[in-house]
Amino acid sequence: MSAAQSIVIIGGGHNALVTAFYLARAGHKPVVLERRGTVGGAAITDEFHSGFRCSTLAHTTGPLRPDVARDMQLEQFDLQMIYPEPRLFAPSLDGRALLLFSDPAKSAAEITKFSAKDAERYVEFHGVLGRMAAVLSQAMTITPPSIDHPSAEDMWNLLQTGRGFRSLGKKDMFRLLRWGPMAVADLVAEWFETELLRATLAARGIFGTALGPWSAGSAAVLLMRAAADGDPAGPAAFPRGGLGALTKAMAAAAARAGAEIRSGAEVAQILIKDGAVNGVILSTGEEVTAKTVISGADPRRTFLKLIDPVHLEPDFLGKVQHYRCLGTAAKVNLALGGLPSFTALQGAAAGGWGANRAMSGRIHIGPEIDYLERAFDASKYGDFSPCPYLDVTIPSLSDPSLAPPGKHVMSIYMQYAPYRLKHGDWPDQRTALGDVVVRTLAAYAPNLPDLILDGAVITPHDLEETYGLTGGHIFHGELALDQLFTMRPLLDWARYRAPLRGLYLCGSGTHPGNGLTGASGANAAREILKDLR
Amino acid sequence: MSTRYDVIVIGGGHNGLVNAAYLARAGKKVLVLERRHVLGGAAVTEEIFPGFKFSVCSYVVSLLRPEIIRELDLPRHGLEILPLDGTFTPMPSGDYLWRVNDHAKTRREIARHSRVDAEAYEEFGKAMVAMCRFVKPILAMSPPDPTTLHPRDLRKLFVLGRRFQALPSDDKYALIQLMTMSAADFLDQWFETDVLKATMSASGIIGTFLGVRSPGTAYVLLHHYMGEIDGAFRSWGFSRGGTGAISEAIAGAAREAGAEIRTQAPIARILVKGGRANGVALENGDEILADIISSSVDPHLTFMKMIEPDELPGEFLDEVRRYKFRGSSGKVNLALDALPDFHCLPGPGLHLRGAISISPAVEYMERAYDQAKYGNFSSRPYIDVVIPSLTDPSVAPPGKHVLSCFVQYAPYKLKEGTWEEKREAFGDAVIETLAEHAPNIKNIIAGRQVLTPLDLEREFGLTEGNIFQGELSLEQLFFLRPVPGWAKYRTPIENLYLCGSATHPGGGIMGAPGRLAAMEILKGWKKGKS
Repeated sequence: MSAAQSIVIIGGGHNALVTAFYLARAGHKPVVLERRGTVGGAAITDEFHSGFRCSTLAHTTGPLRPDVARDMQLEQFDLQMIYPEPRLFAPSLDGRALLLFSDPAKSAAEITKFSAKDAERYVEFHGVLGRMAAVLSQAMTITPPSIDHPSAEDMWNLLQTGRGFRSLGKKDMFRLLRWGPMAVADLVAEWFETELLRATLAARGIFGTALGPWSAGSAAVLLMRAAADGDPAGPAAFPRGGLGALTKAMAAAAARAGAEIRSGAEVAQILIKDGAVNGVILSTGEEVTAKTVISGADPRRTFLKLIDPVHLEPDFLGKVQHYRCLGTAAKVNLALGGLPSFTALQGAAAGGWGANRAMSGRIHIGPEIDYLERAFDASKYGDFSPCPYLDVTIPSLSDPSLAPPGKHVMSIYMQYAPYRLKHGDWPDQRTALGDVVVRTLAAYAPNLPDLILDGAVITPHDLEETYGLTGGHIFHGELALDQLFTMRPLLDWARYRAPLRGLYLCGSGTHPGNGLTGASGANAAREILKDLR
Repeated sequence: MSTRYDVIVIGGGHNGLVNAAYLARAGKKVLVLERRHVLGGAAVTEEIFPGFKFSVCSYVVSLLRPEIIRELDLPRHGLEILPLDGTFTPMPSGDYLWRVNDHAKTRREIARHSRVDAEAYEEFGKAMVAMCRFVKPILAMSPPDPTTLHPRDLRKLFVLGRRFQALPSDDKYALIQLMTMSAADFLDQWFETDVLKATMSASGIIGTFLGVRSPGTAYVLLHHYMGEIDGAFRSWGFSRGGTGAISEAIAGAAREAGAEIRTQAPIARILVKGGRANGVALENGDEILADIISSSVDPHLTFMKMIEPDELPGEFLDEVRRYKFRGSSGKVNLALDALPDFHCLPGPGLHLRGAISISPAVEYMERAYDQAKYGNFSSRPYIDVVIPSLTDPSVAPPGKHVLSCFVQYAPYKLKEGTWEEKREAFGDAVIETLAEHAPNIKNIIAGRQVLTPLDLEREFGLTEGNIFQGELSLEQLFFLRPVPGWAKYRTPIENLYLCGSATHPGGGIMGAPGRLAAMEILKGWKKGKS
């Protein structure tokens, strides 16, 4: 029995660290208990081959919410962000390259090569999405209102959101209402005629979800992403040293503010006494008493694994059981003896931008809407995509510290890899998955296979077993219209509190809970501090 | 030759006729103009083969609003609804699922497949009734505009919010899920029996270009659940003499109220002067003047075909072009010498009197959709079969039968070839699919009519063959139907109104759009027009 601790935070992922920071800054002494040897959750850097390091799972930030970044002053803990330009490069099979920059004019200049009309439309789209992002980002910072008994603050927040909404003007207001439930494929088709551009922009609506571009609601996912970064191309921001450097800096900031961080401390159970939390038991049997327990783990793990069911209402448990949390993503990290040469970037194709620079941001593989949809189809029936959608980065291009001189690391996010396979299980399919990914890329960069020195394949099974993501879902639960905002994770339980006194959620399974923005952690901290007062 | 009318209603479909009936009852001088030789639009009965009368397009009724039946006194005008008892789903395994209106029976039948599901089925029924109670008033209101601060609209939104707030927590939950989830995901929460989920999810895709796993289909499930005859939810029926008899009854009510109805009067264009509609020009050149033009045909025909583009704001036209039709279904009507014989339940029997649903598995349904996504008709489609002649012998010669198949998916836009070339292949796919469950079907066909989405467009003026005059997808419902900012039956052209299924609350033989549009038109009048 160790000394009584007042606040325990389960898990050392980025949201948990943000929550820890804000609680500590308010004068509390939270203890972060991380199961693994290093904090960071899904934002970590590993040396997967001697001399080769890269972001093991997530490979770009969401980006981090500006106010969070400001408060934590991460640059003081030697976090350096790299913002590559172009943000994104998308090759087509016929050997053409689409480049998108932060500057819409520059992007338009590139798009003109495909369609002058689209180039014009892109600038307009960039503007519209930006305006919507401004309104939506505000909605991401609020605590979802209580539907039954809205507080004065809820009403105020809604009023603010409403005013932001109205400031859009009738046309954009209706756009926003109409886009929400749409299929992202329809949305991009309304704006653009170039298939490659359509597919590239649509990808943001399916990333990390069990949706295809033709699934209604995928446009809402795109809008949520836009709330974090209004640029249609999506964010391309790498911390120097990989995403592990980001969470290291966060941990340091939290520690300096007064939080205690213990790694290698796996929480086995949350202790409950008379409907209130009383602490946690570690896998070692050690008991850490606490009046406040904050879980950075996903809702299913928190309520179904860490809590004895007798303490929860059957009805509540039933709803958690129905919380959809089956992942579709896998990851492949490659150590390369040299740089891949993309056919689309040969000579003039690179568009005056050197090939190296052109591929220094994110590389989108998924040339057509139908290509993406077919990739999705396979997963519906329990197979991983024979021709997957890939989001690739070569961080060593802008951050040489990650690989030996002249050598490189390639980080490949792969979709769709359904958590539940119809044939065989993931441990047996690991190599097959790796092969599919390399073969897919080789179609665009033929020399890739010869460059591979070593590789690491992370299947949905690994995501669950090694990294604690239930169902292998990288966002702690499906980003579906019925699991967002006041419904994330559950209707009536979207305010970071749980049905047990002293128990809170702060992970991606809460609003807004999407990508590395720290928003869930910051919102949760705000609510928890209200109760601690 | 111009007698001036108060209102000209374009199209003699059920909504056009309902619209005309209500306006005539309010004392307006109304003229209905129908392009074809028969009234009813998609709700028609036609004798395709001598002695065999078919409800050519829409084939069952249940959504028809009770207040319309009441207010127009349709039974007196000959409307008679005959019950359609149950849904029979044959399975490849040789088993079947047969649900009937008798709860106890259905419960036992489902228990045969899963005891848990039998329990859940009761609960599910209750939950859906609660949902329907919430949604029905919405079907009877003209949609508010969420972007204005007009008190009337704010009040409507406020009332909606309050009613939602007043729901028990579980109902709130279910409602949000119904509005956003896929039919399959939604049903997964309730049931474990695949064939049960497959058959129930079918009503979530009817008339849409969506699969049972596409978010948004749960709402369509509810839309069809709204079916109501004599107050009993989810009971469907035939109308004696085919669905055409419904149109005839409504036409009867309209005529009695003084409306004039002309068939074979195709309209070339709507006359617009200074931004106001003031009449129509028929294809034969005649011009007929009226204060109000009420169009029951879809927005594409109304705005792209009957009106000069320069009469409309460009942005509005863009929205109309964006409006999604995407017909996804076809119809196969068969004249039969005998009854089909299902190997999972041989011989004639009550199971043939209800709906026969070819929906053996959720994956079967989803794969049928996948083929359509890429521009092919489903080689093994979802089919909803009915044999009206068993319930209403008047529609077929003695001892013979009419069988109608609603078939999905048949995409309007084919990747290869044209529907002209593919029509018979499509028909064959349907027969082959049926034959897998009822092998004798091939030998008893006395006549076969295949309607592709293209035929639905040409014959019945349903653009792209969409039976609901436009997708029932979330972004095209309520205050977004047909296009944002124009959900109140009005249009950018003064005195031109819409009253068809392309307006809230949408498709099915419901009549609500026609009625609500009539209310709006009359409201306009009160505001001191004429």
